[in-house]
Amino acid sequence: MIALALLAIGLCGAGLVAAGFPDRPADGTDRALRICVGAALGAGAWSAAYAAGRMSGIAAGLKDVILCCAGAALLLLGRRKPRAAPSAVDPAPRWLWALLVCASVVAAASFLEHDWRFPDGGWDAWMVWNLRARFLVRAPDLRTVFSPNLLFWAHPDYPWLVPGVVAQGFLLAGRESSWIPELVAAGYGVLAVATVSLALARLHGARWGVIGALGVATLPTFAIFASNQQADIPLSVYVSCAAALLMIAGASADRSLRLVALAGFSAGLGTWTKNEGALYALCLAAGLLFRTRDWRATFAFAAGALPAVALLIFFKRYAPPNDLARFSTPATLIAHALDVRRWGELLLQSLRRIVFFQVFALWLVAELLVLAVWVRRLPGTAVGTALFLAAVAYAPIYVLQPQPLTWVFRTSVDRIILQLWPAAVLATSLALARTTART
Amino acid sequence: MTRERITAAVAMLAAVGMLRSAGLHFVSEPLHDFRRERIDPRYAPAKALLPPAGEIGYVSDEPVATGPETVETTSAGTRLFEQAQYALAPLVLRYGDDRAPFVLANLADPASLAELARERRLLVVAEPFPGTAILRPR
Repeated sequence: MIALALLAIGLCGAGLVAAGFPDRPADGTDRALRICVGAALGAGAWSAAYAAGRMSGIAAGLKDVILCCAGAALLLLGRRKPRAAPSAVDPAPRWLWALLVCASVVAAASFLEHDWRFPDGGWDAWMVWNLRARFLVRAPDLRTVFSPNLLFWAHPDYPWLVPGVVAQGFLLAGRESSWIPELVAAGYGVLAVATVSLALARLHGARWGVIGALGVATLPTFAIFASNQQADIPLSVYVSCAAALLMIAGASADRSLRLVALAGFSAGLGTWTKNEGALYALCLAAGLLFRTRDWRATFAFAAGALPAVALLIFFKRYAPPNDLARFSTPATLIAHALDVRRWGELLLQSLRRIVFFQVFALWLVAELLVLAVWVRRLPGTAVGTALFLAAVAYAPIYVLQPQPLTWVFRTSVDRIILQLWPAAVLATSLALARTTART
Repeated sequence: MTRERITAAVAMLAAVGMLRSAGLHFVSEPLHDFRRERIDPRYAPAKALLPPAGEIGYVSDEPVATGPETVETTSAGTRLFEQAQYALAPLVLRYGDDRAPFVLANLADPASLAELARERRLLVVAEPFPGTAILRPR
């Protein structure tokens, strides 16, 4: 069963990549990027198929066979394509490679230290994500897993891509070993760095790839969140995969609709990872439409996202309402929206967070400086616009929350920045690479 | 701005980030923080005495946040509740329900068990681990 599950993930991921890319990999960098994208999409599709199977009564083994067949069929259909243009060449100096090795060692050691100090993961890991995985394994009836009698802290309204992967790991291992969620967390952490790095290396050369990897791996809170076994880093992987695919599609003269659809599929898996993923998928679609005015590409993106979005809509039949809907009334929403103090408090908290050295070191300050000084003068991109829209959308979302604003901001803003950070590093580095290429 | 300057700036930012991470994980936390206990061992003895599925009552000497207005003042009680829920899944814990056939008492202060049981008219069935007890209505 373990071999079948691995085959299902591998074939499904490879098939999706073969179907989405209009060409064969040109070189090692391109191939490595496609392997990373395939691994992320394969694992996500495996989990989404598990959820669909649980909700419709299809056995896990049959689901894996179906995934294997579908992946193999896509692989066969994706043969005989022209070779892609080779990856850009801009070698990184040796000292930069050495710095990347140091950064990888520090990040890996930080991951392990945090994992040792918090053996059950971060608070949300045992309160939400691994709790859900345990329910999925231990409760045969989904109505128990999403029982309305669970206290709202368990967030039974959250989608369950990460719990689906962990729960299937538990089932395949035959016991609920703690190394399974740890391995899943580490895998997504590696993918978050690798996807950004390889996409940049593919488009602008190894120097920019190393710069991107450093931008993600040396954010102090990155290793902590990766180790926390929560869904934020997996969500960041799907958002950055979608961003990378949109950028690769945009870099070619004829924007490949299949590649845009694959980006949509990745964004769709983001919606199945966390509720925020729906916002990011919408923002990416809006950014694509606004910057390209290409309705066909926008429809291709939406069509790619459709399977996971349909799953999410189907799941919401089981799920109780989220906090905003459960604890808010029209009167409280209007009162919060018109409360000038809440807007002012949000602004103050946001400004303080930008310079929060303990969590972000100097990265957030540097990012905002680069955006304000250089990037704003450049032509806008679909991904950059999407990230801007997402950041703007969070202002009313925070102000309308039923919880005390300071508390909800303090407990959530770091994870939201982490969810968007790899895509932001990708978009910013790409803009800088284009600028310097012109000078 | 040349790419060499960008590379140098990123290297500087990365070095600051690495130093911050290394300082936190290998200097500050070992000196000032402690390793969290695994959650399951506290609840494993109670789990063996409870039904494998269904719903049970839950009482505690620490309040649990049941709405947005109390989230800031109930961190300890909410943590105890959610850790018990995590350990005892797929049992669903019903906070404050002291009329269920099985009631789990999860206490920050084990000495408060007798008073809690008296106040809520519960009978202690077993106290399998300090701070956790199984009770039933009198």
